[in-house]
Amino acid sequence: MNSLHGRQRLRLVLRLTAAVAITLFFLFPIYWLFMISFKTPDEIFSFPPKWYPGQIQFGNYAVLFKDGDAATVGNSLVVAGASTLLAMFVGTICAYSLARFKTGGEHLANWIISQRMVPPIAVVFPIFLLYVWLGWVDTYVGVVLLYTAFNLPYVIWMMRGYILDIPLALEESALVDGCTRWQVIWKVVFPMARAGLFATAIFTFVFAWNEFLFALVLTRTEVVTYTVQVTHYFGGQSNFWAKISAMSVLGTLPIFVVVAFMQRYLVRGISLGAVKG
Amino acid sequence: MAASARPQAGFADRNFKYLLVAPSIFVLLLIGVFPLVYLLVVSFQGITMTEVDTSFVGVRNFAHLFHDRRLWEALLHTLIFTAIALPLELILGLAMAQLFLDRLPGRPIFIALLVLPVVVSPIVSGATWSLMFDNRFGPINQVIGWLTGGPRTLLWTINPDLVYPAIIVAEVWQWTPFMFLLLLAALANVDKSQLEAAAIDGAGWWRTFSRIVLPAIWPVMAVAILIRGLDLFRLFDIVWALTKGGPGTMTETISIFTYVKGFQQFETSYTAAVALLIIVLLSVVVFAALKRVQLAR
Amino acid sequence: MADLKITGLHKYYGSVHAVKGVDLEIPAGEFTVLVGQSGCGKSTLLRTIAGLEDADQGSIEIGGELMNHVLPRDRDIAMVFQNYALYPYMTVFDNIAFGLRARRTPAAEIEPKVRRAARMLAIEPLLDRYPRQLSGGQLQRVAIGRAVVRNARLYLFDEPLSNLDAQLRDEMRGEIKRLHQELGKTMIYVTHDQIEAMTMADRIVLLRDGHIEQAGAPLDLYERPATRYVAGFLGSPAMNFVPARLQGETALAVALADGSELALPAARSAKLAGRRGQAITLGVRPEHITRAGGELRAGLVRRTASIELVQPTGSRTYATFRLGGAEVVAELQAHDVSQPGETIELAIDMNRVVLIDPTTELVVS
Repeated sequence: MNSLHGRQRLRLVLRLTAAVAITLFFLFPIYWLFMISFKTPDEIFSFPPKWYPGQIQFGNYAVLFKDGDAATVGNSLVVAGASTLLAMFVGTICAYSLARFKTGGEHLANWIISQRMVPPIAVVFPIFLLYVWLGWVDTYVGVVLLYTAFNLPYVIWMMRGYILDIPLALEESALVDGCTRWQVIWKVVFPMARAGLFATAIFTFVFAWNEFLFALVLTRTEVVTYTVQVTHYFGGQSNFWAKISAMSVLGTLPIFVVVAFMQRYLVRGISLGAVKG
Repeated sequence: MAASARPQAGFADRNFKYLLVAPSIFVLLLIGVFPLVYLLVVSFQGITMTEVDTSFVGVRNFAHLFHDRRLWEALLHTLIFTAIALPLELILGLAMAQLFLDRLPGRPIFIALLVLPVVVSPIVSGATWSLMFDNRFGPINQVIGWLTGGPRTLLWTINPDLVYPAIIVAEVWQWTPFMFLLLLAALANVDKSQLEAAAIDGAGWWRTFSRIVLPAIWPVMAVAILIRGLDLFRLFDIVWALTKGGPGTMTETISIFTYVKGFQQFETSYTAAVALLIIVLLSVVVFAALKRVQLAR
Repeated sequence: MADLKITGLHKYYGSVHAVKGVDLEIPAGEFTVLVGQSGCGKSTLLRTIAGLEDADQGSIEIGGELMNHVLPRDRDIAMVFQNYALYPYMTVFDNIAFGLRARRTPAAEIEPKVRRAARMLAIEPLLDRYPRQLSGGQLQRVAIGRAVVRNARLYLFDEPLSNLDAQLRDEMRGEIKRLHQELGKTMIYVTHDQIEAMTMADRIVLLRDGHIEQAGAPLDLYERPATRYVAGFLGSPAMNFVPARLQGETALAVALADGSELALPAARSAKLAGRRGQAITLGVRPEHITRAGGELRAGLVRRTASIELVQPTGSRTYATFRLGGAEVVAELQAHDVSQPGETIELAIDMNRVVLIDPTTELVVS
C-alpha cells in the first residue's frame, strides 16, 4: 500500500514538474517579446543579451503612440469587431434555417463547408481586382465584408450544431403562444444558444484580428491593421526590434485579455469544433 | 365554412427559411464563385506584367506551369514543412495531452496559459522568433553558446541550413497547443471501463494505446490532421515574418510564390493558372482525405 | 371556446402517409382524447391542428373559420407540450407571461392574469423561481399555467403526463379534468395511455395507423367496440381473445378448440344465425369471468378451471387459466385463489362477450 502511494506521489511530482517545464517553454518566447518591448534600444542591443530589463520603461510604446502607429490597433479592433458581429448575425440565422428547415438539404450544407477550405492565396488576387473595380481597396467596408465572408462558413457550421441541441418544443411553444418566427429566433434561439454564440464569436474575432494576407493586399494607408504594421518595421538591413516588439505586444495584449475572460469558451470551442465538425 | 378573417400566412412567412439563408449565400457566392470564374477566365488569357492581352491563348499558362522550376520547388518546400511540422505537432500534442489527462493540481491554469501561443498572430509569432533567433541579441544562440562553451554565430534566418529548422520551430511552437487541446478533449472521452479492463487483463502501455486509445481518438485526430494539414499547405504569415521566403527562394512556400508572382511581378494570367492549380491540388487532397476518414469511421 | 371540424385530412412525411383521410367533428367545450399507439398519427394530427405542420390535403376549421393557411400565433390556441417547453433562462412568472408579452398585452394587465393562472394551478409561491429549481409535477403545472393564462378558445395537450411518475400522473389527471370543468374550454388531449383516455375524455378518438378506428364516449367504446383492435386496446388487463367456432342446431354455442362449448344467450344466438359453422374469435374481458356462486343467472356459463398463474393486486387477484387451449385471465376477488394449481369454478358472462369475425377483425356482436 505504501509503495503504491509512494509511486503515485512520485509520478504526480514528475508530471507536475514536466507540466511546469513545458508551460515555461511555451511561454518563454512570449515573455521575451514582452520583455524586449520594455527595454531601451541600448539595452536591446547589448551583448550578451540580458534576460530581464534593467528597468521597465514604456518609451517604445510612447513612440508608437506619438507616431500614430498605435492607431492601427484601433483599426484592427474596428475591423475584427464589426466583421465578427456581422458574421455572427448573418451566419447564425443561416444556421437556423439549415438546422430547422434543412434548407437546401445536404448540397447547400456541403457547399458551405467547402467554402471554408478555400485557400486564401488562390482568391486574394481576383478579390483584389474586384475591390479595385468597386473602389473598396483600403476601406473599412471592404475589409469588414471580406472578413465576414471568410468567417461565415465556420460560424454557420458551428452554430448549426449548437442550434440542433436546442429542444424544438421551446420554439414551437413560442410559435403557438404568439411569437413570429423572427421573435422566436430573437427570444428563444439566441438566449438558448448563448454559450455556443460566445465560443464561436471568440474564434471568429481572433481569426479576424490576427489575419495578415488579405489585410496586406487590400489595405494601403487608411485601414492598416496591426499585423501589417508590424511587418513595416522589418527592414532590409536591420529590423526595428523596439517597434516590432512594442507593436506586437500592443496587438497581442487585447487578445490575451479577451482570452483570459473567455478562455473557458475558447477551449470548449477548439475541442468541440473537432468533435462536432 | 367561412374563410378566416385572421391574417393568412404571407410571402415572408412561407419563404422565411430562404430569407434567412439568402444573405449568407449571396456573400459566399461573391467570395466563392466569382473568384473561381475569374480565375478560369483569366488563366486562359494573356495578361502579363508588360501587356494586357485578353484574348484566348489556349493552355499556354498551364503548360508553363509544368516547366516552372520555381513553382515546383515552392510546392516541395511546402511539402517539407508539412511533412515535418505536422507529425511533430501531433506527437508532441499527444504527449502533452497524455501528461495533462489525469488529475493535476492547477490544470485549468496550465491550460489557460498554454492556449496563448495559439491566439497570437502568426506574424507576431514569426516576429517573436526572429527576435529569439537573432544572432547576437537572441537567447537561442546565447544558450547554445553556454552549452558549447563559446559564442556561436548562427544566422538562423539567413543561413540556408538553418532557415528550415527556424521556421519549423516557430510553427510547431505556435500550433502544438492547438493539437494538445483537441487531443486532450478526445482522450478524455475514451471509455474508462475499456482501459480498466485492459489493465486487469495485463496489457502493456503500448498495446493499450494502439488497440484502445488510438482507435477511440482517431475521429478527432483525423479532423485535427486535416485542419492543420490544410493550414500548413497555405503557410504564409510565419515564413513571411521570418524570412520572406528567403534566402533567395529557399523557403518560399507555394503561397509566397503565388503572392510574388501576382503582386510583385504582376503576371496576372499566370498567377491565375497557379491559383487554379492550388485549388485543384487542395480539392483532390481534401476529397481523398474525407473519403478515408468516412471509411475509417 | 370554439368547435373544431376536420375534413379529409392527409399528411405525409416524405413517403410516410402519417394521417390518412381523417374526418372529425368536436363540439365546443368538449374534452376529446386522441389515443393510440406510437406512430398512429395522433401527435401529427394535433400538430396540424396547431399549425405547426401543414396539412397536405383536407381542411381544418376552428370556430367555423378555415385555418389551413393561418399561422399558429393567429389561431388563438394554447398548447401544452410533453417536455414542458419552459424557458430555463426565465422565471416562472416570465414563462407564464411570455405569450402575453409576445402579443404586447399592456403590462398592467399581465400581472393579475399571471397571478390568477398561477393560483388556479397552485403554483403562486413559485413565481420567482427558475425552472431548474422545480420538480416534474411543478414544471407541468407551470406549462399548463402558461396555456391557461391566454384564455385561448382551444387547448391542445401533447402527452403532457408521459414524463411523470405513476403517482404524479394519477394526481395530475384529476387536476386537468377539474381544470376543464372550471374553464369549460374545448380541449384536445393526446396520449398513448388508455387509462388517461378512459378517465378524462368526454369522447375518445382511437387512432390506428393514420385513421380513426372508432370515436365515441369512453364507455361506448369499452362496451361496444367496433373492431378487435378497439376491444383489445381499451381495458386493463386487456380483453382475452380465444379462437373458436359457432355451431349448434337450434341454439348457437361457441365451440372451443378443445371440444367444449359455451352456450350463447337466446337473443344473441338468434342474431348470429347466419354465421352457423363459421370460425369466430371470442373476446371476453377479465372482469366478466368471476367465481361461480351457487345459482347462475341467465347467460352465465359454468367452467371448471385449473389456475396456472396468480397475480394479486390487493383489491383483486388476476388468475390465468386455459380456455379452449388459449391462455385467459380472470379478474377474481382478492382471496378467491391463492396458489397456482388450485381448481376453481368460474362463471363466464356470455351476455357481455364480444364476437369477432377472424378475417375482417370487425365485431359482429
